[in-house]
Amino acid sequence: MPGFDFSNYNRNAALHARGMPLPKATSTGTTIVGCLYDGGVVIAADTRATSGPIVADKNCEKLHYISSNIWCAGAGTAADTEFTTALVSSQLELHSLSTGRKPRVVTCMTLLKQHLFRHQGYIGAYLVVAGVDPTGTHLFTVHAHGSTDKLPYVTMGSGSLAAMSVFETQWKPQLTRDEAVKLCADAIEAGIWNDLGSGSNVDVAVITAEKTTLLRNYLRPNERSQKLGRYVFPKGTTAVLNEKIIRKEDLSKFVTVHDLPTETGDDKMEIDA
Amino acid sequence: MTSIGTGYDLANSIFSPDGRNFQVEYAVKAVENGGTSIGIRCKEGVVLAVEKIITSKLLKPNANKRIATVDRHLGIVYSGMIPDGRHFVDRARDEARAWRDTFKTPIATADLASRMGGYMQAYTLYQSVRPFGITAIIGGFDPSTDLPVDGEVGRGPSCGAGGKVPGKTFGGPGLYMIEPSGLYWGYYGAATGKGRQAAKAELEKLDLAGPGGESLTLEQAVKEAARIIYVAHDDNKDKDFELEMTWISGPDGPTKGLHQEVPRALREEAERLAKKALESDDEDEDGKMEE
Amino acid sequence: MEFGNSGFLNEDGIHLDMDRLKKGEVNLGTSIMAVTFKDGVILGADSRTTTGAYIANRVTDKLTQVHDTIWCCRSGSAADTQAVADIVKYQLELFHMMNGKPPTTQTAAAIFQEICYANKDMLSAGLIIAGWDERHGGQVYSIPLGGSLHKQPYAIGGSGSTYIYGYCDANWREGMEEEDAVNFVKGALREAIKWDGSSGGVIRMVVLTAKGADRHLYLPDTDYKVRHA
Repeated sequence: MPGFDFSNYNRNAALHARGMPLPKATSTGTTIVGCLYDGGVVIAADTRATSGPIVADKNCEKLHYISSNIWCAGAGTAADTEFTTALVSSQLELHSLSTGRKPRVVTCMTLLKQHLFRHQGYIGAYLVVAGVDPTGTHLFTVHAHGSTDKLPYVTMGSGSLAAMSVFETQWKPQLTRDEAVKLCADAIEAGIWNDLGSGSNVDVAVITAEKTTLLRNYLRPNERSQKLGRYVFPKGTTAVLNEKIIRKEDLSKFVTVHDLPTETGDDKMEIDA
Repeated sequence: MTSIGTGYDLANSIFSPDGRNFQVEYAVKAVENGGTSIGIRCKEGVVLAVEKIITSKLLKPNANKRIATVDRHLGIVYSGMIPDGRHFVDRARDEARAWRDTFKTPIATADLASRMGGYMQAYTLYQSVRPFGITAIIGGFDPSTDLPVDGEVGRGPSCGAGGKVPGKTFGGPGLYMIEPSGLYWGYYGAATGKGRQAAKAELEKLDLAGPGGESLTLEQAVKEAARIIYVAHDDNKDKDFELEMTWISGPDGPTKGLHQEVPRALREEAERLAKKALESDDEDEDGKMEE
Repeated sequence: MEFGNSGFLNEDGIHLDMDRLKKGEVNLGTSIMAVTFKDGVILGADSRTTTGAYIANRVTDKLTQVHDTIWCCRSGSAADTQAVADIVKYQLELFHMMNGKPPTTQTAAAIFQEICYANKDMLSAGLIIAGWDERHGGQVYSIPLGGSLHKQPYAIGGSGSTYIYGYCDANWREGMEEEDAVNFVKGALREAIKWDGSSGGVIRMVVLTAKGADRHLYLPDTDYKVRHA
């Protein structure tokens, strides 16, 4: 059966009430952004995935393929952004095949918002939808509860405040491609440095009417540098205060080994390598 | 009939080679055997009348009504197979109710005619059903005043809404006739059933349409309706009949926008005048013969 | 001010219980209004959308078209009101095609009400429906949280409306000229934006008359004085 299974809901609620902590979903505590420019649209994301206080993946991909001309940046629950974008990508491909037209960004946005609204926020996908179609260049945000916004520049995720501060101070109308890429990368970097949930690298996708360019790890500001010291210590670094040697033959003083008779008689127990 | 023995008349879903649906044409025959029904649309409202042939002396007079109310402002009369008509009326009531449920406002006469036309037509398409053996006349009055939305709290603002298009009117009386094929048109005057030819001839003499027309008052229309049913009645074929009449006026008229039976006093007066008119016609004819 | 967990209106009758919004839900803490005037009707709204304390969108368009000259002002949950408006938009388009005539404002209001009332437990949507049609001229209907329907000469809504009841009562007049009506809406929304923390940004308006729909935009940069494209 498709959909969610709630059969363990009551059990889990009871366990939680008795003090058992609920399992944590891997959340892409994230910075994602998007920005329109003259001739296309740019979206960008950081690459940190977290599970509670743990960095679960240092270089994950948060830019999702919908169709060749539509891409999505995802924040929120990693599994939900992954599966929701995959589902809509599939639906849009089939729709495109049956209509014989290129998929449209509004269609993608509508499918996403209706799917997310139907699940009343339980699918924790926060998305930036961007693309170019025969009707023009488009940029949307879609929240988990199903609301959408259409804006010239957008940010989402835990690092959205840091990223928005970059847009609000540096954005101007009629950006060039390079300016838009720089602006988005700067916004993501603001998230990487100032938001605990965001980190590692910057992924960028540039979508134009002609093609989409995915710039994976466009910036790698957290490259592991050469270690300053050598952390292999030579023998004798630690002083030996005393020494006692126990020989193999003397082991039986401490440990004894007995063969137990098997039930099947004299069959020897097989031992895996 | 050309259809006999060809097999093209055996089911709805079969066309004859010259593009006819014989089942529908047979249904029209059934209508032509029914008591005459008419409708008159005048400026002030609509009158519906039917010639109710008395099939047994044991039937209670003035009972067994033939004209049905479908919504507050809508009435339906029909000629042909009465049980088919009853089902048609049931469906019309469902449509009117469904419209109110969805849009919280009464259905317009034209919209009901459209829905019922579609319903009738559906019965000409399938092997498993037969067409309706009736032709129905739908009469109604759509108010020109603002309608409240059902379920609206309070009566709304006392001040009028701004920006109406001046001189443009809405609503008014409506009269539609639907045939077994599902075909329907709006009419000034409509007649069906066995006396339709004579009735139509009389209706055409009335001033219902055209520029400067529409001079007929609703009360005159009631009297004309009674006279036409009497004229259309064929004494030689059916001995006895009863006249049933309903009317619908606008909110300012005698029925206050409702579909109601014509009051007994007015009906009896109309019948008296109808009989008198027939007698004088006979006298005229007699006079001519004497000459 | 206390906001309970009841899921109902606060005793002030305006502020909705914020706990009804699911965690992290996008909210239109809003000032919206619609006003009838001589030639039709004007809708107005601020442009602030919030998630908690963060402004998720400072130039939101809360005036949503559901038919040629039938629009609505949205307040409450952004997701809920967008979903409801999308459904009604579809229904009205279907109505136009099936009946060969455009729907009236009251038809739109009736469909809105049915959805809001039938799903009242699941929705937090406060809507004002305003439209112009040939038959009825300009009309304003208000649908507050419980799903009741009120026909009004003018309606105000959203968290910011509390601050402008007095202003509107003192300044609204029947049958205003378009210019006066625009200034009335602007004046009211300026006050609402000034006093309500959840309202702000630009002022958007839509003027609905026999000539169709006409959009207005006023920016705080120019003290809401200049009409922008």
